[in-house]
Amino acid sequence: MLDLTQPQFVKHAIFHPFEGFEDLRWKKAGKLSYTFIIIFFLFLSMIAYDRWCGFQFRPLPDAMFSVVPYIMMSVVYFGAWVIGNWSVCTLLDGEGTMKNICIYSSYALIPYIVATFIEVVLSHILIQDEQVFFTTVYYIGLIWSGMLLFSAIKAVHQYTFTKTVIAIVLTLIAMLIILFLAVLLLSLFQNFYVFVYSIYTEILYRVRV
Amino acid sequence: MKKHLLRQIASAGIAAVMAASALVTTVSADEPYDVYNYNYLGEAVPSQAGYLAERSVSGLDLGTTALKAPSDLFKDIDNNFYIVDSGNNRILKINPEFTEVLEILDTFTMPDGSKTTLKNPKGIYVSPDTGLIYIADNENSRALVVDADLKVQMEIVKPTSTVYDQALTFLPQKILCDNAGNVYIVLNNTTKGAAMFDRNGEFIGYYGANAVAATAEVIANHFWNAIASEEEKKYRARSTPTAFDNFDIDITKGFIYTSTSSGSTDTDIVKKVNPEGHNLFSHMSNFMWGDLFSTWYSGTTYKTKIVDIDIGDDGSINCLDATTGRVFQYDEEASLLFIMGTIGEQVGAFSSGGVVAVETMGENCESVLVLDATKGTVTIFEQTVFGGIVHDATALYNGGYYEEALDPWLEVLKRDGNYRRAYLGIASAYYNMGQYQDAMEYAKKADASGRYNKAFERYRSEFLKANLTWILVAVVALFVVWQVAKRLLKKRRDAKLAAAAAVPVPKTPEEE
Repeated sequence: MLDLTQPQFVKHAIFHPFEGFEDLRWKKAGKLSYTFIIIFFLFLSMIAYDRWCGFQFRPLPDAMFSVVPYIMMSVVYFGAWVIGNWSVCTLLDGEGTMKNICIYSSYALIPYIVATFIEVVLSHILIQDEQVFFTTVYYIGLIWSGMLLFSAIKAVHQYTFTKTVIAIVLTLIAMLIILFLAVLLLSLFQNFYVFVYSIYTEILYRVRV
Repeated sequence: MKKHLLRQIASAGIAAVMAASALVTTVSADEPYDVYNYNYLGEAVPSQAGYLAERSVSGLDLGTTALKAPSDLFKDIDNNFYIVDSGNNRILKINPEFTEVLEILDTFTMPDGSKTTLKNPKGIYVSPDTGLIYIADNENSRALVVDADLKVQMEIVKPTSTVYDQALTFLPQKILCDNAGNVYIVLNNTTKGAAMFDRNGEFIGYYGANAVAATAEVIANHFWNAIASEEEKKYRARSTPTAFDNFDIDITKGFIYTSTSSGSTDTDIVKKVNPEGHNLFSHMSNFMWGDLFSTWYSGTTYKTKIVDIDIGDDGSINCLDATTGRVFQYDEEASLLFIMGTIGEQVGAFSSGGVVAVETMGENCESVLVLDATKGTVTIFEQTVFGGIVHDATALYNGGYYEEALDPWLEVLKRDGNYRRAYLGIASAYYNMGQYQDAMEYAKKADASGRYNKAFERYRSEFLKANLTWILVAVVALFVVWQVAKRLLKKRRDAKLAAAAAVPVPKTPEEE
């Protein structure tokens, strides 16, 4: 049963929202290298959505481009999700390992990424009056990915429905805490850097004079 | 050798940069300020000057004594100018070239033959139809209507009507009259609008009050008033609007434009009021007239304070900002054309808070005149070539002659690539000419997605009309190829599976 190659497993997981991830777990399938590729494409899709959309839908002037927010929205958020979920679910008797959470969550994002790329293509064909098609694709991708993410968390930790809901809510709170701490840490490092640098310049002046 | 070459390149580069910066300074040395305009994002970007300050004229230059706290400047239909020289209790009539005084108006003959003089006059208006001169004679608490022979035709004094609160004084600040002969007087003690009198000097009522800005406090007041009892309402503060304190009339169309200098409001700074008293700019009551940002410096906020407004013969709206000494010129659709002036000592610069009046001259707004009360001078800005082209293009564009406006707009872009309205104008022109791809390109450069969308819609339908057959053929062909490929692949896989089933293969440990 289910003698599938890895790409076939990806397809299986996406198109079987209820037992796809259970099968994945049962067969111990899923590769971490796919996660990196998927997250890279998530990053690309976000840039594509903002930069390559038809001008009638996304009138963003070129002068405002910076790559940092896109890294933030893809890599950092995903990392925070995985770490937050792992931390919460370890306490809530979850069976998932960090690696599996990574793999399953990233597989769940595929419909959203694909939908984004479809939107980019559609935006060059549609006019503003036909925006409803554009938004429909967006919501299909979003809801599909949301369902997959739910079932991925449910499968990877072997939770019941209610427990998954609780776990996801707690994960979101954990993400907020992680991001808050990250910002705190960053500003601390920055202060530390400024402190060291000012000592360095001070010494430099004293030595010269 | 190589080092030598590097040094040469470096020194050439430095020389080029220096030459470029020298060029920049020579360009901007013509006016004592940096010329700027606002882009789509509301950022100030460098721009070409539409006007240059030519000269500044004092009372002595005009062959009379120095002006003392003048408060108004007006141009009549024959392009003669009038300066209300409040401190000297007189009005100067000046020739169109602004070189000499034609007449000094300070003594008038009353209908009974007696003489009367002015006391701190504040405003003047000369009717284009009748040639009558309307004077806001502030400290005499009256407005005079005088004919060309300086005979007083009518004297407007404090109304006795009950509509006019008798506890209030009657100190006319500014005055004008419309085509029907109604007289409008701005008073400094009411928020109800300008006092309006009919052609016989009878008080009719108030005209064109500002709306109450919907701040959080006003909304809260409204709520409490709704639930308060009649007794409580008496003691509750009323929400009153700010009063406008200057106005001008567009004589060709009959609209009265008001300006509000109060710093406590951001709404209804400029209104365009029709004869019925409705504000035609009410849809843009939050529009930022003047500078988009206020500056905060050592405890004081400096924000635009529009003290005078002038409607040019071409319909342009000229707003004078007393805070920065700048004139903001808008076209009739309220799109910003040019900004000129600053605070300082040079020609083209004004005393801080001293500017009181702006006036324009010419079919195409060739000159802009600014009256500085503190300096007692009138500064004359003349239109540059660039300004002329922009005005031509704007007039054609606002008149709906998009295709005719194409050449002037292209010329504008040659001189200032930052001028956003040129991109909009070119996009509209190409759209009307059916060059939709060009229209899309320029709409994109103007950051106008709505216009881009319109051009794209037409471009798409043209593209589909021309290529629909090929697109359909391609879609069908792709579908057929896909189906055939699918079947072929399936056949091959079935054959493989059948072969595998026929010969059982021992399982490898990994597959378990």
